[in-house]
Amino acid sequence: MSDRQIQIVTDSFWPLLKAGVLYTIPLSLITFALGLLLAIVTALARMYAWAPLRWVAGFYVWIIRGTPLLVQLFIIFFGLPMVGLTLDAYPSAIIGFSLSVGAYGSEIVRAAIVSIQKGQWEAAYSLGMTRVQALRRIILPQAARVSVPPLGNSFIGLVKDTSLAAVITFAEMFRRAQQIVATTYEPLLLYCEVAVIYLLFSTVLSVLQNVSERYLERYSAS
Amino acid sequence: MIRVRGIRKAFGKQQVLRGVDFTLPAGQVLVIIGPSGSGKTTLLRCLNLLEVPDHGTLELGNVSFAFTPGAKLRPQDVLSLRKRTGMVFQSFNLFPHMTALGNVIEAQVTVQKKRKSEAEETARLLLGKVGLADRADYYPHKLSGGQQQRVAIARAMALEPEVLLFDEPTSALDPELAGEVLKVMKQLAAEGLTMVIVTHLMKFAEEVADHVLLMDEGLIVEEGPPHEVFRNPKSSRAAQFLSVLTD
Repeated sequence: MSDRQIQIVTDSFWPLLKAGVLYTIPLSLITFALGLLLAIVTALARMYAWAPLRWVAGFYVWIIRGTPLLVQLFIIFFGLPMVGLTLDAYPSAIIGFSLSVGAYGSEIVRAAIVSIQKGQWEAAYSLGMTRVQALRRIILPQAARVSVPPLGNSFIGLVKDTSLAAVITFAEMFRRAQQIVATTYEPLLLYCEVAVIYLLFSTVLSVLQNVSERYLERYSAS
Repeated sequence: MIRVRGIRKAFGKQQVLRGVDFTLPAGQVLVIIGPSGSGKTTLLRCLNLLEVPDHGTLELGNVSFAFTPGAKLRPQDVLSLRKRTGMVFQSFNLFPHMTALGNVIEAQVTVQKKRKSEAEETARLLLGKVGLADRADYYPHKLSGGQQQRVAIARAMALEPEVLLFDEPTSALDPELAGEVLKVMKQLAAEGLTMVIVTHLMKFAEEVADHVLLMDEGLIVEEGPPHEVFRNPKSSRAAQFLSVLTD
């Protein structure tokens, strides 16, 4: 590497990391929180709601899982203005990613709820609990534990997927890298550098995931 | 008091209960015995409506039900019945995410809307009663099977039910651990709790029961005080079942 290239890599490290910390991470956290909420509501709707609501939930999951996330982002950001609904890049990204997390997450949450033994429901019912009470106090807390590992994987996937927001002009980390490439003409260096920063983020998250799993295991032998 | 008349229940085409009647006065212990598949567990589960009978009537204190196939029960009636019954399961079914104390507190706070402090006081009293005062803060997986089942008994008593239902409470335990559970049950029987117990343990049944039902193929084939049922069975089916057990 030439001195100039070393200079470019070191000069761009902080701007890239800053974009990651200011945009990639917050976008991931916000969409994951919203998406998780949506996932729980969707899972419960698909399992227990009044039939028409169940269909709505099933339809939503079918559409989101059956179409590319990139296409969804394009529809939200470039398509919706045609019907008078113009959104900035940030809200567009939040909506697009949240819908995605909600659909995939609902399958994880559903599987976790189903995995809780029937005896837990029966014990709750035998104590006079309603279905809502049994869900809230007995089933969901246990399902939450079961779903931590797969949801952790979803979150790591989400952090990387946020790079797609670059194409709808959202100034997250990958978009920042593209901008630097446009002025320095060093695509290999810059894209590898940004890849390393994503790797750094994912690695930290994997470690956190392991720690949280070990923490949860303290309460259950299984 | 529990009064059951003409209870029938089918799972698909299989008739599991084919017309069962019994009356259990308050303060008495009813033991239900019979071969596997005779319908005894289903009968027990009908008493708190974990299974809903197709036909018949069920009365417990001042709640009563008349069952017809496909009819919806009023949810508040079902809840009110369940609050008056406590159930102990073969596989314990403790809530694994709560301590022993938390398990016994739970329904008091969620269902009865008692204050937490009051519920905790009751819970500690009950855990003391089953000999586990010093295990209050343990999570279920840190307890032995016998201890878990004793917590489950305390949990079932937390709402001060009018009757306790036991579904083969020691079948998942080895004999030593079963002994500590049986000891607690005998003590509760001696205190005058109304209990319905499904079990395979004849010796225990004989010691603790006021009344024994022997079921076979969804019907009661023999009933009476334990010494009569066990020593002088009137029906040949009962004699046959008991002889196999004592072999």
